[in-house]
Amino acid sequence: MQTKPLRVVHYINQFFGGIGGEDKAYTKPQIKDGPIGPGKAVQQALGDRGEVVATVICGDNYFAERIEEVTAEVTELLIPYRPDALIAGPAFDAGRYGIACGALCKAVQSKLGIPSVTGMHEENPGVDMFKRHVYIVKGGSSAKGMVEAVSKMVSILWRLASDQKIGKPSEEGYFPRGILGNKTSERTSAERAISMLLAKMAGERFESEAILPKYDRVKPAPFIKDLSSAIIALVTDGGLVPKGNPDRIEVKEATRFGAYSIQGADGLKPENYEINHVGYDGSLVAQDPHRLVPVDVMRDLEKEGMIGKLYDTFYATTGVATSAENAKRMGQAIAARLKKERVSGVILTST
Amino acid sequence: MRLELNIVSIKDVNFGANTAIKDGVLQINQRELQELLEEDKRLGRVEIELAHPGEKCRILQTSDVIEPRAKIGESGKNFPGALDQHGTVGMGPTCVLRGVSVVTIDDSERGDFYRDMNGEIIDMSGPGAELTIYGKTHNVAVLPFPADGVSLSDYRLALKVAGLKTAVYLAEAGKSLKPDAIEVYEIPPLMDIEKQRKDLPRVAYVFQLFAAQFGGITEDPVLYGGNVDKIVPTILHPNEVLDGALISPYRGKGIETYMIQNHPIIKKLYQRNGKDLHFAGVIITIAHNNEHENRRAATISANLAKWVLRTDGVILTKVFGGAPEMAIAQTAQRCEELGVKTVLAMWQQAADDSQEIDTLFSFQEVNAIVSMGILFEPISLPHMERIIGRPVPLSGGGSISDKIDRQLQWIKGAIGQLGTSRLMASRY
Repeated sequence: MQTKPLRVVHYINQFFGGIGGEDKAYTKPQIKDGPIGPGKAVQQALGDRGEVVATVICGDNYFAERIEEVTAEVTELLIPYRPDALIAGPAFDAGRYGIACGALCKAVQSKLGIPSVTGMHEENPGVDMFKRHVYIVKGGSSAKGMVEAVSKMVSILWRLASDQKIGKPSEEGYFPRGILGNKTSERTSAERAISMLLAKMAGERFESEAILPKYDRVKPAPFIKDLSSAIIALVTDGGLVPKGNPDRIEVKEATRFGAYSIQGADGLKPENYEINHVGYDGSLVAQDPHRLVPVDVMRDLEKEGMIGKLYDTFYATTGVATSAENAKRMGQAIAARLKKERVSGVILTST
Repeated sequence: MRLELNIVSIKDVNFGANTAIKDGVLQINQRELQELLEEDKRLGRVEIELAHPGEKCRILQTSDVIEPRAKIGESGKNFPGALDQHGTVGMGPTCVLRGVSVVTIDDSERGDFYRDMNGEIIDMSGPGAELTIYGKTHNVAVLPFPADGVSLSDYRLALKVAGLKTAVYLAEAGKSLKPDAIEVYEIPPLMDIEKQRKDLPRVAYVFQLFAAQFGGITEDPVLYGGNVDKIVPTILHPNEVLDGALISPYRGKGIETYMIQNHPIIKKLYQRNGKDLHFAGVIITIAHNNEHENRRAATISANLAKWVLRTDGVILTKVFGGAPEMAIAQTAQRCEELGVKTVLAMWQQAADDSQEIDTLFSFQEVNAIVSMGILFEPISLPHMERIIGRPVPLSGGGSISDKIDRQLQWIKGAIGQLGTSRLMASRY
């Protein structure tokens, strides 16, 4: 529990710092003692729990055009003030200002290990960029909502600094960070399941504890008109990789994929491959990799003239507990490469 | 079918000259138990150790956990098929030693690519012990080593049998004692249910108890001593489940035999039976490793629920990881299509921060899900003074006895799939 008054540093842009408007947007970062402008509202909300010991002011363009470097520069400025916490903005709907607030909050959390809070309007691009890393209080689009936003920001900041619980996004007014964790229910899951079923059978309202994903609908590519001239590729998420796993693809939650040449090969020799996947029993594939990546049959079809050509490389990754974000990114990257190589069809094998 | 669990409360366990219970203290003749277990030619040496609640002790590579139980009376059979011959189960009196667990330790866990090499652990004190019932019972740890030349599969089978034997051996000591409490489990035969209260909905429990996701072991004696890797869905009386007809499949992640014997969902359905619902029975099913067989199992389960048990609603649970989640969701979907309301309770294996995804499936009919939490969440565990099992050095350096961060999935019983846990996932 924090008992000493908090040493808080406040970040604002050139406009709220009283330096000027767009014409001063290239103002370099400067730090001054005590609260300035909206910092007075911060000080008021803090009361005797803390003190705004310094204010950093920086021009919006100066920050937004070199985010990483300026973030580091500003973080350095804070250190001599030995801050316990950082408050940034609120930035309302000012995009460059919002991005600066988010980037700085994220940086001080990881570099200085101190809590931080900012505030923005929901349309500020800084929200999507930083809500997963930083508590961003939802606010209006103009300075009218300043006092309310600042009071919520300070309330969260104080509790972060003193290791107190932060409630749900809806109760506290911050943007949900999408972070998953466990909480403890008053009832066991067995009890909750029975209550939920009784309500559902009675036609009463119930609230599911998990929300179903709505997957993107992908429009299928048109049929291949002439298979006998088509190049066909093999792609798998079953984790078949050359011995030694040269691309160091993860055994689960993969972020990488590999491209492995099969040029001129009639088939895959078991001694040259291994299964890099913890989501299924890979022993049958280890015995004969064609059970996953059927190069043998594809060569037959190639000889028979049913397909034009088997593409010279197969792609492999590990599909187990892989995040949808990574799966999508890898899929797009593989598809782009295949398209460039004029591959017109893919056989995807999964496990 | 009327089952009486005669509960003998055990407040301490120690080693002594003979195996007996006096004033709530279980004394074990360590040598006698060892000799009993070493009769199995598949096993070499068998070590027995005790771990008590509050002790600074960490048990490694735990395989199954079993509550000591023994049937009372001539016809009653213990774990029929797996241990005893076939006979009465689910009926009549059973002696239960409450407050004690038999914990089997799988020495072959060490060095397994698929697993954490120190396996699922049990802490006897600290935050790890708080999260699981197995940290609060007096634990009789059974650590058998394989005999020379015995296959891995045979060793693992022998390990299971050693656990069951120990559970029965210990509970035999309580059979002649006056129980501290008697729990009675009885539901009328299906035909008679509607003669009672017609206005109550009929509810069944769909229990997915095995998944063909990994190899498993051959002849795993899960259901009346038989393996279940090819079963079609079938109906069991809940008392059969509670009284030893079912044991945990090898590496039945989140469904230990102890939890099957004390099945939280079955027990709660019994509590509500005749008040809010009629408990119509248990449908057991498995997850296959291919779409065709999963669809087939889903159809059969749903038909049993709708047309044989004539239920209004079912609760479904799953086992293991992601592929079984798809299989159980298909079953729920098929039930909903037939007008049987469903609640699916499961841990959130597929929960994904990156796109705010909670489930693998997206069947819109499966709209009532109870969260059993996120199994990948780590918690910090303190240093322990005593280790049971053979430690493997941590990959990042240090020892498993140190202060460590460990995901819930590697703490036995911290996050189960049968409804015991209070943990639920949340986004914040």
